[in-house]
Amino acid sequence: MNEKHAVIAANRFGLGAKPGDLKTAQENPGQWLLEQLTIPRFSSDHPDSGEVLEAFYAYRKDVKRFKQQKMMEKPDNIAGRLFVHMAADTVSGAVNDDHTLNWRLLDFFSNHFSVSGQGGMMKPLAPTLEREAIAPNLLGPFENMLLAVEQHPAMLVYLDNDKSAGPSTGVARNSRGLNENLAREILELHTLGVNGGYNLEDIQELAKAISGWSITRPKEEQHGFVFRPAAHESGSRVVLGKVYRNTGSNQGEAILKDLAVHPATARYLSFKLARHFVSDSPPEALVKAMTDTWRQTRGHLKAVITTMIEHPDAWQSDPVKLKSPREFYISALRLTGLPVPNARLMVNTLVNLGQAPFGAGSPAGYGDVASTWDGPDALLKRVDWVNTITRQVQMNQPPVQLARAHSGALLSAHTAKMVSRAESRQQGLALYLMSPEFLRR
Amino acid sequence: MKRRELVKMLGMGLSVAPVSMSTRLAFGGDKKESSSRKVVWVMLRGGVDSLQTVVPAFDKDLMRHRRPLAEAVLDDLNPLDNGFGLHPDLTNLYDWYQKKEMAPVVAVASPYRSRSHFEGQDLLESGLTVTNHDSGWLGRALEVSSKQGLAVAHSLPISMRGQGNASTWFPSRFRAAEDDLYSQLFKLYESDDLLRGRLEQGLQTRAMAEGAMSSNNKAHFEALARAAGMLLNGDSSPSALMLEMGGWDTHDNEVFRLNRQLKQLDDGMGALKKALGSLWQETLVVIATEFGRTVKVNGTMGTDHGTGTALFLAGGALKGGRVLGDWPGLKPSELYEGRDLMPTSDVRSWIGSALQQHWSMPDQQITSVFPDLALGQKPLIS
Repeated sequence: MNEKHAVIAANRFGLGAKPGDLKTAQENPGQWLLEQLTIPRFSSDHPDSGEVLEAFYAYRKDVKRFKQQKMMEKPDNIAGRLFVHMAADTVSGAVNDDHTLNWRLLDFFSNHFSVSGQGGMMKPLAPTLEREAIAPNLLGPFENMLLAVEQHPAMLVYLDNDKSAGPSTGVARNSRGLNENLAREILELHTLGVNGGYNLEDIQELAKAISGWSITRPKEEQHGFVFRPAAHESGSRVVLGKVYRNTGSNQGEAILKDLAVHPATARYLSFKLARHFVSDSPPEALVKAMTDTWRQTRGHLKAVITTMIEHPDAWQSDPVKLKSPREFYISALRLTGLPVPNARLMVNTLVNLGQAPFGAGSPAGYGDVASTWDGPDALLKRVDWVNTITRQVQMNQPPVQLARAHSGALLSAHTAKMVSRAESRQQGLALYLMSPEFLRR
Repeated sequence: MKRRELVKMLGMGLSVAPVSMSTRLAFGGDKKESSSRKVVWVMLRGGVDSLQTVVPAFDKDLMRHRRPLAEAVLDDLNPLDNGFGLHPDLTNLYDWYQKKEMAPVVAVASPYRSRSHFEGQDLLESGLTVTNHDSGWLGRALEVSSKQGLAVAHSLPISMRGQGNASTWFPSRFRAAEDDLYSQLFKLYESDDLLRGRLEQGLQTRAMAEGAMSSNNKAHFEALARAAGMLLNGDSSPSALMLEMGGWDTHDNEVFRLNRQLKQLDDGMGALKKALGSLWQETLVVIATEFGRTVKVNGTMGTDHGTGTALFLAGGALKGGRVLGDWPGLKPSELYEGRDLMPTSDVRSWIGSALQQHWSMPDQQITSVFPDLALGQKPLIS
């Protein structure tokens, strides 16, 4: 039993075994996973969102000058480069780390709080959200993550709250007004879920409560989140029937804290987590157990994940869910031990495979069920990529050994036979990477 | 074994799991049926300068706003209705116009009135008054008429999002695998219906498109457009196909850049028509952009983000050969916010009317595609 569970632990909950992992996991697969609940570590030499904003403002100023007087050199846009390097940094972190459950969790929440790197300012800002607001709060109370995300420049800009002004403020009289975009998505996507029992008034009240949550302008010194009292709608607010006194920036925070522990949030996030890890239609008993833990611990994420890992239903049935393009890519790099490609190639490959980093193009993020990535063209792209990289792998052992190191007891006789009988080591490896065992988790 | 033969063999010999794309046309369905009518939706990203494309040569105010741009094309324009002139590089489109297979619509805009590319594109693709990133107008149209669509893109653009009636195809940047690997994979998937079905369908699509792909410039618009035509012509082909083309954000050096862009677009459209063959007669082409550009030339011989722009309707199915839309004039007082071409009609009403007539959609169906629009009865489809 443990042998099979070791494979499930590495593939369903992680990003695939590296040679040797299954042996380690086999002792106690559940415990092996729980030990992986640590904060993922990024390489630190990337600018934070404040520095990104500063660089972007400087660039925008240069472009303006450049357009007026053509004497200077065309300004260098560092934004595109930053985007690629930060996006690739997360991928290589996941490829290199011995722990991968934590990177899967990061990926899950990064997609849950999806921001797209489209447009001059969002491009370099998007990848800072997961680094600054999500990763540090991955294993604590959900309210910490929620607050950090909704007050992060990337989210404020992406969903237009930086430009929102309360309708009765002075700012509003000068042509700007309330923008409900962020408030709507907080309720619909980030917390309660679309059927979570809120109405249009709740959206508007929340939008007013968080009006004034903005980012610094170019002239200001420290760049990042700022609360602008002048744009904040004063007065008390009623959200989901509860009255919140006017406490400035704290008013919105108080609402978010309640939303983070709301029963609908507990249910919605537990369902999404179970769907992500276990199955497109997760067992009800599992979702219920996670929801209960969420409510008992007031949304303590580590406790909720622990409940999932310790629940027998999370381990049942053979692998059914097709890996997402990103999971497929990372797990293939981990297994083959290929040198990690440069940042540009990494991002381009993910674009080609159909899951561009920070490219969902919708605040709902990429779909998290297999039908959104199991199209015919997507499968062929994987074949082509596998065909390319397996030529670069220097293999001294028969490919079936790698297959066993990854799929262990779950490797079928048919796949083992085909991999063993392939005309070359490279083709054997290609067949394994495209086998049902490797594609599913 | 050549891939072509492999695919042929697969199509004939092996039993295959049901595939998602419609198979109604797979066995020589009559091309004249309305169910075989195709829509090609071309999204031009970046904001096309319509005043340099469908040029209002008759408008006395044109020269005072943008002499350096207008002068570069004025003598070579292809004459259209009502004193308009088509950019000289749009030779295929002009040929269609003369054959009554193309009609520009002037001074259109989506409901979007700010000037951000992404927001503008999202709203146009969404086809609503408030953007829904998960539902696009073509996606909804496919859904209500139970048709299938294909986007030539890496990931599904907003226009085609909805209840899963569309998929994507894009030439692979990876070197294609040897045919032997595909044969081996079919054996590997002998008891996995899903993977085997996907592999077969993917290879069929690729085989249809590969003739169009020259090896070194696969993602070039002309090659993509030719592939699009071939894909529409194949067995069990999609009913709607989307192409995208960027590069229209001409803030500087517009004359040169726009010439090059329009030439590429026109070459692509020519290749599309050729690849469609007789199916062209059953095809509606819609070419649109998120917004227009400023009426005045800016300080770097370009134009900045604007509002009103032009839409092109085309195809053998169209009643073309005329310029549609109302001209608002270019006097400073007639401009939107004193700087942009004033939109006089909603771009969605033209798309909606053409689509409804082309696919013979009942009112109730088209209303679920464009819920807030009352569509005109002007006959657009022959």
